[in-house]
Amino acid sequence: MAEIEIRNIGKFFGPVEVLKDVSMTIADGEFVVMLGESGCGKTTTLRAIAGLESVTSGKILIDGEEVQDKKASERDIAFVFQSFSLYPHMTVYENIAFPLRAVRMNASDRQAAVKEVAEILRIEPLLNRKPSALSGGDMQRVAIGRALVRRPKALLMDEPIGALDATLREQMRAEIKRLHISRGSTSVYVTHDQIEAMSLADRIVIMNDGILQQIGAPEEVYLRPANLFVAQFVGSPVMNVTDVALEGGDGGASVMIGGDKQGFHFPGQVVGHLNGAPLSLGIRPEAVLLSHDAAHGAIEVETTNVEPLGSHDIVDVRVGETVLRSRTEAGFVSGEGQKVWVGLDPLQAHFFDRDSGQALRGAN
Amino acid sequence: MAAVRSQREVWTNRAAILAVLVALVVMLAPIYWITSTAFKPRNLATTVPPTVVFEPTIAPFVKLFVKRSQLREPVSEEVYDAAPWWEQMVLDGGEKVVRRGRTGEVRSSGYGKRFTNSLIVSIISTILAVSMGTLTAYGFSRFRVKGEDDLLFFILSTRMLPPVVVAIPMFLMYRTVGLNDTHLGLIILYTAFNLSFSVWIMKGFIDEIPREYEEAALVDGYTRIQAFFKIVLPEAMTGIAATAVFCFITAWNEYAFALIMTNRKAQTAPPFIPSQVGSGLPDWTVIAAGTFLFLLPVAIFTFLLRNHLLRGMSFGAIRK
Ligand SMILES: Nc1ncnc2c1ncn2[C@@H]1O[C@H](COP(=O)(O)OP(=O)(O)OP(=O)(O)O)[C@@H](O)[C@H]1O
Ligand SMILES: [Mg+2]
Repeated sequence: MAEIEIRNIGKFFGPVEVLKDVSMTIADGEFVVMLGESGCGKTTTLRAIAGLESVTSGKILIDGEEVQDKKASERDIAFVFQSFSLYPHMTVYENIAFPLRAVRMNASDRQAAVKEVAEILRIEPLLNRKPSALSGGDMQRVAIGRALVRRPKALLMDEPIGALDATLREQMRAEIKRLHISRGSTSVYVTHDQIEAMSLADRIVIMNDGILQQIGAPEEVYLRPANLFVAQFVGSPVMNVTDVALEGGDGGASVMIGGDKQGFHFPGQVVGHLNGAPLSLGIRPEAVLLSHDAAHGAIEVETTNVEPLGSHDIVDVRVGETVLRSRTEAGFVSGEGQKVWVGLDPLQAHFFDRDSGQALRGAN
Repeated sequence: MAAVRSQREVWTNRAAILAVLVALVVMLAPIYWITSTAFKPRNLATTVPPTVVFEPTIAPFVKLFVKRSQLREPVSEEVYDAAPWWEQMVLDGGEKVVRRGRTGEVRSSGYGKRFTNSLIVSIISTILAVSMGTLTAYGFSRFRVKGEDDLLFFILSTRMLPPVVVAIPMFLMYRTVGLNDTHLGLIILYTAFNLSFSVWIMKGFIDEIPREYEEAALVDGYTRIQAFFKIVLPEAMTGIAATAVFCFITAWNEYAFALIMTNRKAQTAPPFIPSQVGSGLPDWTVIAAGTFLFLLPVAIFTFLLRNHLLRGMSFGAIRK
């Protein structure tokens, strides 16, 4: 197991810059999940760490040793690919034993090591099969087994369960978590799936367009997004983001949503640090509070759409020219066109600089 | 699956089977003809209508391998009885076995040597073309090669000139450098012929092998060469088998260059067989025997690789 440090790496494919000055440190035994839209450079980062892709600039350190110029085979890292990672001409047993042959482990140790991971992954009955006779889930189990058998310094996984169906993914997610807890391997895991990221990660790395946006614990990126991209990328349904203007003094301020005259009252400790630059307000649907009575500071509005989702509803309300989405208990409003009162929870509000997109936070 | 097939489907199916049978008969007829003639006594080989039932003999094969000459008068009974069984077969045909003047050693017709030459040249050139082709294809497939498309087109273009056009210049060049009538000369020629084919076909197959296979091996601690031998080669086996069969057939059957470039030492079987039609009345049974033996290596080679070929012949289309 080892610590991985990435220092200011950049990567060009021809004229296209796909990684821009990416830096991060992954602690020994940590499980880091990289999350981002398709094409943002997650795979490229992972491949750079593994040595399958050279970097154009910057350094990669494993346990303090610079490895950016070393071959993949010299880095002692394991990689699980999204698909195609088992050799069709070898049995499951041979597949798992393959990395051990590279290090010339003797036959009996090899057998013991394969048996051990097969036990952990519960794939012992499959050892003599060819990969073509395995289900998708079992294939990925074997692929993870092959990655772990050598006890590499770190385990890199590129959407290892992305191709599986939903139920199986949930099950595999739990298994990967269990495996990580029992083995404690330094892991970097790439996914599109937020829930996967939230449930597996010690820390999440959010990337966009080759730029690292934020790195932090799951609740941190959710509760304290560093910028508008992260705010809107993390969480479902998506956070409401709207341009606002502030009116008022030290004791608090009215937050005016575009086209609305009345404004929401926010206390001073929430808005005191804002200095008058153009603002965007971000507020998650669960912080948009609907009520049937005229609560203090609430505005009377009309519902424009209701999405019943079983456990809860997503209700759209029009405030001025803006539509805010609210998460309510199931059946709270009966349909569109209904009059309700809307309030915002100031403690769950996020303010962003409208031009730079950076979060504006006070001392809290 | 519908349990009941429509009447129409049944008839289409029967028509297809019939068509296949007809095609099979048409294609196998020459092979039957050659095979049966190779085992016929000489007097039954050219009867009209053809003899179908006969007692098979291996006399044509005996005659194929020894040098013979016409007997002016029949040999005496003692000489006949003293001769070994195979020589009696030749004598039965009104011919005698030619022996070397002093040692009495039987002189060979030269077929065995031509056949061996064919094997040497075809096998070595096939091995060279397939291995060089596979390595080249791997390079084109896995690395960024400057001007890749142009280079591949250039490789293909070596096949665009009809062989007759290059035959004379090749002959002159070969004569100058002393490659005329040598095994090496033919091997180089056939390897060059087959290489472009081999590169193109193998590139198709290797492109189909996901890079992740090798990359997994690379991170697992193998070098690229090891990954190539342990992962790429086994995965490309169907393609290699198909390519090898095609290259072997091309080299084995090649006639024009063999005729021009070789005459004695390195001559292969294809130019030799027709030369035996030769003077006088041709003995068709002997020619059929030579042709029959000539068909065997390709048949055996194809049979040995049949499992790979079934998948490989689709050139990657239904791989997996
Ligand atoms: N070998 C390559 N040559 C040229 N461009 C490439 C190459 N590999 C990746 N790219 C480009 O680099 C960018 C980042 O690719 P990368 O595979 O890292 O994205 P990703 O975040 O893993 O996306 P996904 O979620 O779809 O897997 C993409 O725009 C992609 O088109
Ligand atoms: Mg990817």
